[in-house]
Amino acid sequence: MDIKRKKRRGLQAWVSWWIEKILAASGGITAFIILLIVVFLFKEGVGLFQSPRVDEGYVLLMHSSNEVDQLSADELKGIFDEDITNWAEVGGKNQAITSLRLDQIMDRFTEEELGGEYEYLSQRMGELIATTPGVIAFVPTLYAPLDHPAVQAMTDNTIALRDFFVGKEWIPTATPVPLFGTLPLVMGTLWVSLFAILIALPLGLGVAIYLAELASPRVRSLLKPVIELLAGIPSVVYGFFGLVVLVPWVQRVLDLPVGETAFVGSLILAIMALPTLISVAEESMKKTPRALREASLALGATHWQTIYKVVVPYASSGISAGVVLGIGRALGETMAVLMVTGNAALIPHTLMQPVRTIPATIAAELGEAAAGGSHYQALFLLGAILFLMTLIVNLMAEALAKKQHNKGF
Amino acid sequence: MIKAESIDFYYGEYHALKNISMQMEPNTVTALIGPSGCGKSTFLRLFNRMNDLIEGTRLEGKCWVDGVDIYDKSVDVDELRKRVGMVFQKPTPFPKSIFENVAYGLRVNGIKDKKFIAQRVEESLRGAALWDEVKDKLKKSAYELSGGQQQRLCIARSLAISPSVLLMDEPASALDPISTSKIEELIYSLKEHYTIVIVTHNMQQASRVSDKTGFFMLGELIEYNDTKKIFLNPAMEETQNYITGRFG
Repeated sequence: MDIKRKKRRGLQAWVSWWIEKILAASGGITAFIILLIVVFLFKEGVGLFQSPRVDEGYVLLMHSSNEVDQLSADELKGIFDEDITNWAEVGGKNQAITSLRLDQIMDRFTEEELGGEYEYLSQRMGELIATTPGVIAFVPTLYAPLDHPAVQAMTDNTIALRDFFVGKEWIPTATPVPLFGTLPLVMGTLWVSLFAILIALPLGLGVAIYLAELASPRVRSLLKPVIELLAGIPSVVYGFFGLVVLVPWVQRVLDLPVGETAFVGSLILAIMALPTLISVAEESMKKTPRALREASLALGATHWQTIYKVVVPYASSGISAGVVLGIGRALGETMAVLMVTGNAALIPHTLMQPVRTIPATIAAELGEAAAGGSHYQALFLLGAILFLMTLIVNLMAEALAKKQHNKGF
Repeated sequence: MIKAESIDFYYGEYHALKNISMQMEPNTVTALIGPSGCGKSTFLRLFNRMNDLIEGTRLEGKCWVDGVDIYDKSVDVDELRKRVGMVFQKPTPFPKSIFENVAYGLRVNGIKDKKFIAQRVEESLRGAALWDEVKDKLKKSAYELSGGQQQRLCIARSLAISPSVLLMDEPASALDPISTSKIEELIYSLKEHYTIVIVTHNMQQASRVSDKTGFFMLGELIEYNDTKKIFLNPAMEETQNYITGRFG
């Protein structure tokens, strides 16, 4: 018997060699591109913590007698919104705060005093600050009278990790310092996704059980394509439907001030997650071995007992896969949610409030964020957070499936 | 006691069982043998109405279990299946713990008494000669057992609901010789309390465990008699040919 390895020759061997290489390469390239995207997200985002809070080209000025030299982003916002009116509230001496922006400073002088080319602006500013001990002014560095003896520039910090991850306000356009608190966005995303699944799971499971166990072949062959068709509808159409139909309906029926709420977002996401959930769950239930079903019936179990005691447990890994795919879609879904949730960056306390999700924030704001600026970097970091959230969900799903596999489920 | 009278059974157009009449006595093991596709499994599945699950089937004739016409309209199929246990060809443990597998039949019957369930589970596992092997791991998944243990678990599961009849559809065909002999011993000991009907492809098995044997071919019951008679001195030539391995 000749079993020695022969040298393969000819076109066929050559073609198969190349196909193998191309397949290997395409796998490698795909993995590499995905890695690159992740690296890119983090690379663009991580600079946020090195960038100063105050926009480039601006500076915060105070009277040199002022002992306060550290202010958090929240405190600064409070001061310029005139919610904080005394230095004592932020650790200084008991003195009224006068917050000034450039336009407010210019309003105090005539055109002649400032000069036709604003050549005296810096000097006037110095005088104003020198005569107002409780002042804090937000001005362009170009005009800042930094050499004036009565003027000191506030030391500016970089954006703190803490402010980013547990900050409660997301106001990227706030002056003098933008607020990049991601908590409302993360919470908004979680709320909307979680409730979407809570709505979709019982409904989807019900439909899946009906299709797999109860529907006649004719009904099934009619219903299944329709449900699968739902998956093909573009999300903007869902969003449109939500905005035009669900939002007014929810507002009227529940008597709310606004109809654009987390609830409508969850509802729309639930509808969008249903086709995947139903298909995956139904298929895994269909895969329950006939023998297992018969064994249950042979013990005198009814059809229903067999469904919930054997078929659903057996299909539970498939069902949880469907749920996770649904959550994955819900977490990342942008357009439909953007259209119906009202997009108020507030930490939601009830489902009936407007919320803003991470994807919606990125989609709505990336266009107006200056490339490389802190807002831009913050949006990229948001993308990274979203990526981590979906990653965690996927890992959980995998662990779940593995656990069940080991148990023999 | 179970009895079939003038049974004709159809899968759609296919005539699977042809005018079969047969009576199985209590506390005996009846073996059904015959070549693949001869209808012996179909016949077995008549007695717990498992064939009802297959669409497009039709039955003529009558079946009795313990004097009840089981295809009568007044019969509750689920109740019937509690009286007539079935063990399948491949072990079919549920994706549950060993304990829960055995308790399954009790639970679906609405029994909630924990003490009674625990007692029944132990009795059934002892009855299926599995207790000593699993008593320390009742909470473990049934999938951790070997194939032979799983099959005995399935037998225990059937015993738990105290049926009067036990139908076995090639219960040892997927098992190794050691597990097979354990199952056979078990069948032998179980006949004290149950009417057992076993479908098998294994001639030696039929001759070892059964008291009576029915030989099926092409949907017909060719010969039905004492096992000894069938194997030593069959009346029909087809039976002779089959048991000596000349065909089938």
